Amino acid sequence: MTDLVIETTGLRKEFRGRGGVRVAVQNLDLAVSAGGVHGFLGPNGSGKTTTIRMLLGLARATQGTMRLFGQPVPHLLPSVIDRVGAVVESPKFSPNLTGRQNLLLLSRAIGAPASRVDAAIETVGLPGRDRDRFKVYSMGMKQRLAIAATLLKDPELLILDEPTNGLDPAGIREIRDTIRDLGSSGVTVLLSSHILAEVQAVCGSATIIGNGRLLASGRVEDLLGDRTSYRVAAAEADAARRTLEGAGFVVAPAVTGDTDSALTVESDDPAAITRVLAGADIWVTELTPLRPDLETVFLQLTAADTLGHEHVDTDETRAGK
Amino acid sequence: MRRLVAVELTRLRWRRAILLLLAAAVVVPAVIFGATAWNTRAPSAAEQARMEQIIEKETNRHQVQRQLAKCIANPAQYGLPDDGDPQAACEEMTLPQPEWYGLRQPLDLVNEREQGSAIGVVVVLVLLMLLGGTTFVGHDWNSGSMSNQLLFEPRRGRVWAAKGLVVLLSGFVVCLAVLTAYWLGLAGLASHRNLTVPDGALADGLKQGLRGTLIAAFAGLAGYALTMLFRSTVATLGILFAVAVAGGMLLAVLGISNNQQWQPQNNAAAVVMDGYHYYDDSGLPSSCFTGQAQDPAECSTERTLSAGQGGRYLGSLLLLVGIPSVLSFRRRDVP
Repeated sequence: MTDLVIETTGLRKEFRGRGGVRVAVQNLDLAVSAGGVHGFLGPNGSGKTTTIRMLLGLARATQGTMRLFGQPVPHLLPSVIDRVGAVVESPKFSPNLTGRQNLLLLSRAIGAPASRVDAAIETVGLPGRDRDRFKVYSMGMKQRLAIAATLLKDPELLILDEPTNGLDPAGIREIRDTIRDLGSSGVTVLLSSHILAEVQAVCGSATIIGNGRLLASGRVEDLLGDRTSYRVAAAEADAARRTLEGAGFVVAPAVTGDTDSALTVESDDPAAITRVLAGADIWVTELTPLRPDLETVFLQLTAADTLGHEHVDTDETRAGK
Repeated sequence: MRRLVAVELTRLRWRRAILLLLAAAVVVPAVIFGATAWNTRAPSAAEQARMEQIIEKETNRHQVQRQLAKCIANPAQYGLPDDGDPQAACEEMTLPQPEWYGLRQPLDLVNEREQGSAIGVVVVLVLLMLLGGTTFVGHDWNSGSMSNQLLFEPRRGRVWAAKGLVVLLSGFVVCLAVLTAYWLGLAGLASHRNLTVPDGALADGLKQGLRGTLIAAFAGLAGYALTMLFRSTVATLGILFAVAVAGGMLLAVLGISNNQQWQPQNNAAAVVMDGYHYYDDSGLPSSCFTGQAQDPAECSTERTLSAGQGGRYLGSLLLLVGIPSVLSFRRRDVP
């Protein structure tokens, strides 16, 4: 038995239009293990939502295989759909029905008791507004209702596509806490987001795609790498750079703040940096650890992919011809 | 499946536009009934007396009496058979009749069934059910909530069937109730006015009501199927309008000269009225136009569409719309 909750192999999606064939997802291998929160990152138009829609049976894959809980989808999607809650793109409900009525219709479709509607409304913080029509909801309230809809199933897998869109800061924090709690309670959460700090703060693992292709996947700390560096400032920056380089450190100019008197020094031993500089009578005025963030990794990967994609597109075009 | 049908029934009940259309399906026939009752009310004594005066005055005019005499002398010249009672036939034809001066005809159930208000009620119900079927699911596409529904029930064939069943059944129940009430109301009114109702007139009216109910309910299903295909209420109504306006012209352009039998409304009328008569002189032998035909029957231009023919035609149309609708819904990406 596999512990993969989501698995795609060679997944491809083409859209045919007047302008010809557009490839939205190409040869995507995605694997999400059970439990925890898995980030799904990519720039706009990279194929995240298309991939999610294919997994949920809303769009047909042109090629490739998909599995949810080990079951091939969309063929056996009905057998696993009750274990999957999902918010895809913007929340979509009947605008003239109240939030409660929309949830009641969905809960009755799966035979869930009405009490679960009350519980879901309570969980997402909509009590008091659940009897208002959906069309008068703010974007944040619509998002909350969409998340409430996913909770009607008591899902084992939660697929959330930009779930904090339109929420105020307090709402974002609440939803992040909810996602984190769900992830640690055994629910697998696939969190598609373009907010990199959100993914880094909430997710244990992540997949990065660009132009419909897999760019990187793994535990977040592995994606970030184990390189540690420090921002070092000293009165005599040039002398400090020469001294550190002479001692074998890799030194680069600082990229943020006061860049004239500061350096970036790769090292996981801050004491060694101060010892070397003090030995040369150079006194450190600032020593700040610089941790690599997902944004940097993401931008490096997607920038590299953009260059590569131009070549891929050319290949596609040639193949088409 | 039963659970899904119950959900769709609830969705239908909660849609205000649908409730308005269903209310209109009750109110408009009620208004037509009221108008029929008003327009067939017995004349007052004053109206009766004034009319008799006018008729007597007109009857005694010299020209009218001369026409009557000419008719009796030569009924064939007036298109009347020679073998009947020329006196009575010519009086009916040439002498002034109360209705010529606007005197109301009494309520006649046979007339209401063949060319009166009952046909109008069926037409209204057909249009309302068509709109109902269209708007019910058009709203799902327009709001995007269809994709959300499919996240809870991904078996698209079931979803199509459940929604279609609810449209069909609700249309059937409402139309059957309205048309049955309409005919029972007409019969009650005739009885209240001490009018003689021909044997079987009420039963024939109720049968017509049942046929009208079927046409209206299936019109709702057709509207639903078209909207599931085009995914837009506006597109569906636009296409239906285009077919209504340009359908006849298209048939003529395609060279189908005898196109009355292919007109949807004629076939619907054939089902509702248990046969529809129309006139068509295409396909007649040339002898009919030169006056050399041996048998006048072979030159008859009257044609009849039977209820069975109409039913088969409309059933084929429904399949023509329904099959692509189901296949498209099962296969296409849902936005």
